[in-house]
Amino acid sequence: MASVKLTKVQKVYDNNVVAVHDFDLDIQDKEFVVFVGPSGCGKSTTLRMIAGLEDISDGTIEIDGVVVNDLQPKDRGIAMVFQNYALYPHMSVYDNIAFSLRLQKVPEDVIYEKVTNAAEILGITEYLMRKPRALSGGQRQRVAIGRAMVRNSKVFLMDEPLSNLDAKLRNQMRAEIILLRQKLDTTFIYVTHDQTEAMTLGDRIVIMKDGFIQQVGTPTEVFEMPKNLFVAEFIGAPKMNVFTTELVREGGKFYVKPFGAKIEVDGEKGELLAKKNVSTGKVILGVRPEHMVLAHANEPGAIPCVLEVNEMMGSELHLHVYTEDGTRLIVRVPTIGLDSKEREELVNGAKLYVSFEGKVMHFFDHETNENLLN
Amino acid sequence: MKKYSDLEFLRLSKSEKFFYKLASFFTSIPRAVARFFVGIWNFIVKKIFGTIASEIADVFLTFKNGDWKTRGSYLVMGLGLIARGQVLRGLLFLLFEIVFIFYMITTGGYWMSMLGTLGRVGPHEEYNEILDAYTTVYGDNSFKILLYGVLTIFFIVAFIYTWRLNIKQSKIAQEYEEHGRKLKSGRDDLRALVDEQFYKTLLALPLLGILIFTVMPIVFMILVAFTNYDGTHDGFNNALFTWVGWKNFGTMLSWEGGGNVYSAAFGEVLTWTLIWAFFATFTNYFLGMFVAMMINKKGIRFKKGWRTILVLTIAIPQFISLLYVSKMFAKNGIINGLLLNWGWIDQAIDFWGSTAHNALLPRIMVIVVNIWIGIPYLMLIATGILMNIPADLYESSRIDGANAWQQYTKITLPYMLFITGPYLLTSFTGNMNNFNVIYLLTGGAPVNPAASSAAGSVGYTDLLITWLFKITTGAGAQYYMASVIGILVFVVIAVISLIVYNVLPSIKNEEDFQ
Amino acid sequence: MNETLEKRHMGLRASRAISNTIIYVILIVMSVIWLFPFVCIVLQSFRVESTWQVGYVIPQKWGWDNYVALWNSDFKRWYLNTFVIALVVAALQTVIVLCMSYTLSRFRFKMRAGLMRFMLILGMFPGMLTMIILYRVLKDLGLTQANAVPGLILVYVASSGMGYYVSKGFFDTLPKSLDEAARVDGATRAQVLTKIILPLAKPIVIYTILTAFMGPWGDFVFARYVSFGTSAGMNVAVGMWNWLTPDMINQRYTMFCAGGVIVAIPVAILFMCLQKYYVEGVTGGAVKG
Repeated sequence: MASVKLTKVQKVYDNNVVAVHDFDLDIQDKEFVVFVGPSGCGKSTTLRMIAGLEDISDGTIEIDGVVVNDLQPKDRGIAMVFQNYALYPHMSVYDNIAFSLRLQKVPEDVIYEKVTNAAEILGITEYLMRKPRALSGGQRQRVAIGRAMVRNSKVFLMDEPLSNLDAKLRNQMRAEIILLRQKLDTTFIYVTHDQTEAMTLGDRIVIMKDGFIQQVGTPTEVFEMPKNLFVAEFIGAPKMNVFTTELVREGGKFYVKPFGAKIEVDGEKGELLAKKNVSTGKVILGVRPEHMVLAHANEPGAIPCVLEVNEMMGSELHLHVYTEDGTRLIVRVPTIGLDSKEREELVNGAKLYVSFEGKVMHFFDHETNENLLN
Repeated sequence: MKKYSDLEFLRLSKSEKFFYKLASFFTSIPRAVARFFVGIWNFIVKKIFGTIASEIADVFLTFKNGDWKTRGSYLVMGLGLIARGQVLRGLLFLLFEIVFIFYMITTGGYWMSMLGTLGRVGPHEEYNEILDAYTTVYGDNSFKILLYGVLTIFFIVAFIYTWRLNIKQSKIAQEYEEHGRKLKSGRDDLRALVDEQFYKTLLALPLLGILIFTVMPIVFMILVAFTNYDGTHDGFNNALFTWVGWKNFGTMLSWEGGGNVYSAAFGEVLTWTLIWAFFATFTNYFLGMFVAMMINKKGIRFKKGWRTILVLTIAIPQFISLLYVSKMFAKNGIINGLLLNWGWIDQAIDFWGSTAHNALLPRIMVIVVNIWIGIPYLMLIATGILMNIPADLYESSRIDGANAWQQYTKITLPYMLFITGPYLLTSFTGNMNNFNVIYLLTGGAPVNPAASSAAGSVGYTDLLITWLFKITTGAGAQYYMASVIGILVFVVIAVISLIVYNVLPSIKNEEDFQ
Repeated sequence: MNETLEKRHMGLRASRAISNTIIYVILIVMSVIWLFPFVCIVLQSFRVESTWQVGYVIPQKWGWDNYVALWNSDFKRWYLNTFVIALVVAALQTVIVLCMSYTLSRFRFKMRAGLMRFMLILGMFPGMLTMIILYRVLKDLGLTQANAVPGLILVYVASSGMGYYVSKGFFDTLPKSLDEAARVDGATRAQVLTKIILPLAKPIVIYTILTAFMGPWGDFVFARYVSFGTSAGMNVAVGMWNWLTPDMINQRYTMFCAGGVIVAIPVAILFMCLQKYYVEGVTGGAVKG
């Protein structure tokens, strides 16, 4: 139960490679924060610096108001779940979970109480006497979590805990982590490369790239107001369609001209453009696949496309199309809105039209890639 | 040489590809060597001198910014730490300083002053009034002077390092005090030795052992190569020994007047050492791999049994097996006895040779017996690696239409070579120094008449390492020559390792299995 | 078409049978070659009609005379010397090698890379070079000749840190996250070693003990230097080597055979029992280079 504060934290390796730049972050007590980003972005390094497994090159890390830079991992009041679980292979599940308590010289009956309690919560009571190698991936994961649970630590660190599980198990464990969080009621820092995990688990998400923080915000904020093109493309699946286009202002109204069409930027986005007095000209336009719709040829703003691949996902179709100038777009179409005849027409090579509305557009500077409406 | 791009290279014919690769291999050697020397140069200039310069600068700067406690540490080590409460550390520094000064005054100074000459007064006759006769009086001891001189130099270097460390820590302590941060107490220091500083605890004893029993003797023996230390100049009883500069290297490599026995012997022994190392390494390597593949073949039974029989030569101490085999092949040994009994020969074969004109047979024999000793070892290694080759490589190559031989040359062999490349290198250098096999089998015989007058009477199967041994135990005991040979062995091994490490990776990239 | 397929099938089977037969023949011949010297040495040790080398394998008269002669010679002393050395070296060397290899595998300290490179270069000097001075130093300490046993132990153990390579390779294969998890769980570095790593390192510990134990049985050069003709300080290798010198061989040849059997049997049995660990260590070491 503690806050974590990182101030200007840097990680420079011996070969002068900078893994983390000026990392500033305030994590509130009992908050669930997710670090997300592509591999090599410095998210794990940051977590390991908090844990005390990596030296901090510069800056300070405070846990509960105490600078922990020079403290050993065991003295920081943290618990950690590792990506490969790091279960001690020569110990039974019971001994694995009890290990940290034994090191603290907790009396055996208290240990028994705590371990069986944790095992109960995680549903691994019947495996307590087994060795880790006799467990399935999901069970190992639970043991690893159990080991971290019994420590009653101030901060709970998780380093890609689900990435070694298959897709189905991953969904299940994700739900269980949400439940666990409600039970433990402590501060969580969670590292993942999977944006779905980040969106579903985090109170706040920290998106990183090349050692720099790109954006910090709630799932809604990062989804609806991505700070830059990288965040916009990273969050959401399939990823956002982006293309360079012209922003023009005619009679107080803004228009974009993608692929020969002309679409008015209306609603909130239009007002914001006007308020910020965004200069017209070349911009990068982003539209999420779910915000693109199939249109008729004669509709205003309809963009002619050719269908390349049609992925049937069950509740929706992912249509991969390309426009006349060869730009590839993805369109998400709910199957519920299509009758069977319309669906049959969606074969590879079919000509079709897509359109989108002004209020769903995202605008990015074509040089800095920053969001123009920020 | 013309450089081809990847796509151009692909268009070359098979032979063109081969020669292109060959040419780029040889053209890359000078570059690799050059790179190595540039690396050494950079290391010396930037790393060593740079470090020394910045350390000296820091020493002055620390003095300038230091308070009296820090400045005092320049004279009384540990003062700054004791004054700021790091008593344990400070006392250790102080203790070291006291021990050092005491040592230098009592004995160290003497050794250092004698190091330049290795002793002034040798053993000599002096008139003894009590006995009313001339008796031998012993003077300085060159051996001890050299030994303790080296030790004293080590000690001085250690002192300078410690002194510097003391200043560094005083500076840190001062900074901590100025910023109001808490210094580590003696108890913290001790606790750290089983935690974040645990490596110091673990390494202390092993490294001390290596320093005293490996590094120091090597330094000493390198220095011996520049003296005339031998049986008649033993430094105490017979006569002192002293520095002679590069003379011994000149004798060995014959720039001190040509045609001497040493340089002739050295050329022959070095050549044989390299030939031996080559055959000993590669016969074992390929035959061992072959045996492993035979035993591992599908459908062969008693796999474990075959392996156990072969492994016997590893399990039984070599001095028994090698000595016994050497006697088995003696002129009156069991092999000759059996062959005579069976009537296959009518005269005993002189397997180990006794004259120069049958020197080839013993050379072949040591290689053959070495195969007997070495195959099991390689078989174990090859078995382990062969089982790790992913089975799907073989499956996919079979679908592609490869036969057994093609599978061997295109998959098994490249894989083995890639994995065991470094092992081959250590095995080669190990064989160059393979004392046991040669000494126990032949003792170096047959004696080489052309070179026999060189100390230790060199033989046709002698390696540099057995020659070295013979010299030290021989009549003249020319230790300085032994140590010249030792240094030359080091140079040869270092050069070979350097070439292999620098050149191999560049041509191995294509066989990358990782 | 069916017929040709059948033929091919037959051909395949036949060729496999032929190649397997060839392999069996080779393996049987090899086994004979490999076993022959050892069979000879055992048989010769029971030969009592003469003590010198003969040209036949099967003794004409069998008996325990050679073993009795061994019992009455200095061999007992040599055997005890070697056994003590091997035992002590096995214990101490294992500790040192494990300290060294664990540290170099797990800690990242400033001098680490330099230290490893330095030891690589040190290893390129022939060890024999240092014998002269080590002998003189031991002599000054009074640890030669009759006192050779502690002297040999000291030298063997002191430089054993150089042989860290194989076990470091093993430690490198243990996931680092185990150490990290234990440290987060509250273990000091020392506790990580004793509670997590050592229990997992059983194969390499056994390998190290085995090789350390076997080494002294075969050491011949340095042991001969240090014992310097004093029988009480010899190990089996030095003592028995003397038996095969030209002026001794005619009286001692069969005794050498008997001694060889006595030395080889316990070492070979130990090796065969722990073969599995030896193979693991050897292959791991070669793969790691």
